[in-house]
Amino acid sequence: MVLKNKKIPKIGIGGPVGSGKTRLIERVVPVLIERGYRCCIISNDVISKEDAQRMQRILSTELKVMPENMIIGIATGGCPHTAIREDPTINLAVIDEIEKKDPSLDLIIIESGGDNVMTTFSPALADYFIYIIDVSGGDKYPRKGGLGIESCDLLVINKIDLAPHVGADLSIMKRDAEKIRSGRPYVFVNCQTGQGIEDVVEDIIRSILFDKKPVVRKDRTK
Amino acid sequence: MNTDHEFFLMQLSDSFFPSGMFGLSNGLESLARHGMIKNEEDVLNFISQQIEFQLVPCDCIIFLTAMNAAKNNNIKELVEADNLFYSMRLIKEVRNTSVRSGSQILNCITQITSKQKNKFAKEFQTKIETGQAVGTYPVCLGIAAEFLGIPEESGMRMMLYSFSQNVVAAAIKLGITEHISGQKILALLSDKINFIAKNNKRESLNNIWQLTPMTDIFQMIHEHESSKMFIT
Repeated sequence: MVLKNKKIPKIGIGGPVGSGKTRLIERVVPVLIERGYRCCIISNDVISKEDAQRMQRILSTELKVMPENMIIGIATGGCPHTAIREDPTINLAVIDEIEKKDPSLDLIIIESGGDNVMTTFSPALADYFIYIIDVSGGDKYPRKGGLGIESCDLLVINKIDLAPHVGADLSIMKRDAEKIRSGRPYVFVNCQTGQGIEDVVEDIIRSILFDKKPVVRKDRTK
Repeated sequence: MNTDHEFFLMQLSDSFFPSGMFGLSNGLESLARHGMIKNEEDVLNFISQQIEFQLVPCDCIIFLTAMNAAKNNNIKELVEADNLFYSMRLIKEVRNTSVRSGSQILNCITQITSKQKNKFAKEFQTKIETGQAVGTYPVCLGIAAEFLGIPEESGMRMMLYSFSQNVVAAAIKLGITEHISGQKILALLSDKINFIAKNNKRESLNNIWQLTPMTDIFQMIHEHESSKMFIT
């Protein structure tokens, strides 16, 4: 019995509402594309397809780094965690369609709808899992843990520029992140300015693409 | 009486079974948003009418035909039922969801049943890959039910219960009703569902019909809503 079929590598991105999941993708994808990797994005949203539409506008219309049909929106209803863990069939069906349409893609990025700290991805859906939080939730966030923070492959702590305004101490967040993650990676980022994004990209390439060299194409919109 | 199939009946009808059904309201969300469904009684009537005018004359016939085709290794009949059902789904969202859900059921069932049964399922999967079939929900559920040894009567009961439970769950999530009333609705439907399951006769594909125009219209409206909790 084959337990898992390995096809196009898949990244899951989860985190609370407003933590910056969509913005992180908007920052990471152009860098990956610039390095020659071809991506597809599936954006799960709770009640709309607004995030997918925003990414289509930014990544396809404004930046012109990828075609619009490579950004797919799924409205999951009130169960964002069900759609990525207990019953990931809606996402898997869309992935099947993508894999048939373009098997040469390097990466599929799956964004979860905003959810709580217990968010995790089904191993059938994501090979690599990024959990993103932001400092405006307070510097207690990493210490309080939760499956997402503890079990993800990469913990991203966003909006570090807001730390002084919300009384969050980044050194405490650093200390607690190291402790609760037992040395596994975490990064501080500011998705607004792009600070720390290169570190996220490097970890993705090293951990899931295994430093695979991309086939560089001249026209990145195809 | 051998009742071993009951285990698989529970497995297949469990909302935990990965078929993507949790994301569907089957038209309830749109009808509720536009004030056509307001309370428990409306939900009960909606389910009852959908069963009578959609599931029994159409979905259940396709399901039973698929079970029979899988039993007799009749791929031609299976493909015919599949394409017929797909052609009768008027709303794109509903068509796509049915196919996505069906393909995932088929994928799951081929990984948990014997190689011998898989042969037939794989033949059907080839038909899907080559564009001769699409893999709709009731067809794939029928294949699964047959593979797991579920009798037709139990299969019908499972299908009607799964639909009803799905709509009730959506009603609770949408705040139309609460958890106890949801169970009351299901209990009130039990006589009807049991009667249908016991008295079912597998009709010919030529006798299929459906008549749920209001639900269809509101499902079409739902397709264009910018904010929604459910896929359909």
